[in-house]
Amino acid sequence: MAQAELLQAGQSASASKPARPASARPAAARGAAAFLTGTGGGRAVLAVILPLLVLVLWQLAGRGTGSLFGGVLPTPDRVWAAWEVWAFGKSGLGLNPYSGTWLANVLFSAQRVAQGFALATLVGIPLGILIGWNRLAAGSFDPLIQVLRPIPITAWLPFAIAVFGIQSMGAVFLIALGAFYPIVINTTAGARGVEKNWIRAALMMGARPSDILLRVVLPASLPSVFTGLRIGLGIGWTAVIVAEMVAVKSGLGYVLWDAYYIGRMDVVIADMASIGLLGFLSDRLILLLEHWVLGWRRLQSFQN
Amino acid sequence: MIEFQGVSKTFAGRTAVQALAEVDLSIRDGEFVALLGPSGCGKSTLLNLLAGFEPLSEGHLTFAGQEVRRPGPDRAVVFQEASLFPWLTVWDNVTFGPRVQRRSRAEYEERTREMLRLVGLEAFRDALPAQLSGGMRQRVGIARALVMNPRALLMDEPFGALDAQTRLAMQQLLLDVWQTLGIAVLFVTHDIDEAVLLADRICVMSARPGRITREIQVELPRPRSIDNLITPEFTAYKAMIMAEMKLAHGTH
Ligand SMILES: Nc1ncnc2c1ncn2[C@@H]1O[C@H](COP(=O)(O)OP(=O)(O)OP(=O)(O)O)[C@@H](O)[C@H]1O
Ligand SMILES: [Mg+2]
Repeated sequence: MAQAELLQAGQSASASKPARPASARPAAARGAAAFLTGTGGGRAVLAVILPLLVLVLWQLAGRGTGSLFGGVLPTPDRVWAAWEVWAFGKSGLGLNPYSGTWLANVLFSAQRVAQGFALATLVGIPLGILIGWNRLAAGSFDPLIQVLRPIPITAWLPFAIAVFGIQSMGAVFLIALGAFYPIVINTTAGARGVEKNWIRAALMMGARPSDILLRVVLPASLPSVFTGLRIGLGIGWTAVIVAEMVAVKSGLGYVLWDAYYIGRMDVVIADMASIGLLGFLSDRLILLLEHWVLGWRRLQSFQN
Repeated sequence: MIEFQGVSKTFAGRTAVQALAEVDLSIRDGEFVALLGPSGCGKSTLLNLLAGFEPLSEGHLTFAGQEVRRPGPDRAVVFQEASLFPWLTVWDNVTFGPRVQRRSRAEYEERTREMLRLVGLEAFRDALPAQLSGGMRQRVGIARALVMNPRALLMDEPFGALDAQTRLAMQQLLLDVWQTLGIAVLFVTHDIDEAVLLADRICVMSARPGRITREIQVELPRPRSIDNLITPEFTAYKAMIMAEMKLAHGTH
C-alpha cells in the first residue's frame, strides 16, 4: 500500500514539469544558502573575507618597524606605496630605477605570454586532434612528446639563451613549450574520448573525414581543450617569469629579480601581486571564452 | 532490396566471438521488418553490418544491388540514445546530413521543416538536445534520418530507453511516419508487443551463434495504431511468438 503510494507520488512528480525547488523557499533562506554554498552574490563576499583577514593580520604583525622577519617582508601599506611609485612615479629620475615603469613591464610580460600561448595553441590543438584521431600520427608524435615532456622548461633555459640570445624570443619559446604540453595532451584525450556513435552518425549522414574532424571531433573535444588551455596559460606565466629573470632584461620577472638584488622587497612583493593579478585576469578571460563557446555543455551539466 | 546471403560475423580478439552465423535475410522495398531476440544474440551486429559500420566476415550483403562497404545516407540509422550532437541545435542536427553532403540551402530547408513538422518539433528548432526530453531527442533522431530521404531506416532499439508512455507515443509516431513515407525499416527490439505492433514480418533470432530461427508474417491489417495492442488477434500473435522465443532460448 505504502509502496503503491510512493510509486504514484514518484510518477506524478516526474510526469509534471519539474518545479524549481529554490523558488518555493523564502528569499532569506535562499540568500543564506547561497552564501554558504558559495553561489551568487554570497560567493563574492565569501571570496574576499580570507584575503582581507590575511592582509589585516599581516599589517598588524608588522606594526612599528613596518616589516616582518627582520625587514624581509614589508607590510601591505609599504608595498602599496612602492607600487604607487612604480606605477605612477616620474620615470628616469632619482634613485628608484623602476619609477613609472610598471605598465611597460606588465605589457612586456603579457605580450610574451600572449605570443607564446598563441603559438602553443595554434600548434597544440590541431596536433592534439590529429594524435587523438589518427593512429599514424599517434604512433609518431606521442612517444616524442612523452619523452620531451619530463624535461622541465627551466632545463631549457640555457638552450633558449644559446639559440635566441638575451631576447624576447627566448622567453616566448619557453612559454610556448611549457603551454604546449598540457594543451596537446588534453586535446588528444578529448579527441580520443569522442563517442563512437557520434562518428557513426556523421558517417551515415555522408560526412567526409574532414567534416568529421572539424564538425564532430573538434567540437566534442572542446571541453578538454579548454582544460588544457587553462593549465597551459598558468604554465605560461610561470615560464615568462623564469625566462625574464634570466634570459631577458625587461618584464615583471626581470624587475622581480633585480629588485631582490638591490634589496627592494617592497617592489618584490608588489611585483608578485601583479603577476598573480595578471594570471588571474587572463584565466578569467579564458573562462569567459569557454562560457561563450561551451554554452551547450553548461546546459547539459545543469540538467543531468 | 536488402539481401543477406550466408552472412557471418566473428569479432577477433583474445577469444574470438562469433556473433552471427550464416544469416539469410531479404527485405523488400517499403517493408517493415522487426528483429527480435534475447540480449547478445547479434541483433545490433546484424544492423551494424547493414549500416556499413562493421565489415562482414563471410557471405554477401547487398543493398539495392550494391555490395555494402561503408555507411551512407541511403541507409539512415536511428540510434538507441539518439546520439545527437549536443553542441548543435535541433535544426543544425537535422540539417547536418544535407550540409555535409553539400546540398544547397534551398534544397534542404523545406524538407527539414516538413520533417520537423512530421515529428512534431517545429517549435523546438532552436533548442539544444539537453533541453529536450528523451522522447523528443529520439524524434529529432528520426527527423535527422528521414531528412536525407533514405531508402531504408535502420533502428536499433530506438525506444528502449524511454518510459512506457513515451514509448507508446513514439510507436504511434513511427507507424504514422512509416505509413506516410513507406520506406523499408529494419527495427531491432526485444519487446514482443513492439515487434507485433509495428512489423510486417518478425525475424526471431537465437544466440550463440546468432542466427535467424524463424520468420513470422504479421497479417494484422494496416493502418495500425496502438489501439491494436488489445485486440484478440494481437494477443494470438504475441502468444505464438512467446512460444517461439522459448524454443529459441532453449531451456534456461
Ligand atoms: N565490437 C565487438 N567486439 C567483440 N565482441 C562483440 C562486439 N560487438 C558485439 N560483440 C559480441 O557479439 C555478440 C552479439 O552482440 P550484439 O551487440 O549484436 O547483441 P544484441 O543482440 O544487440 O544484444 P542487446 O539486445 O543486448 O543489444 C555478443 O556476444 C557481444 O559480446
Ligand atoms: Mg544491441
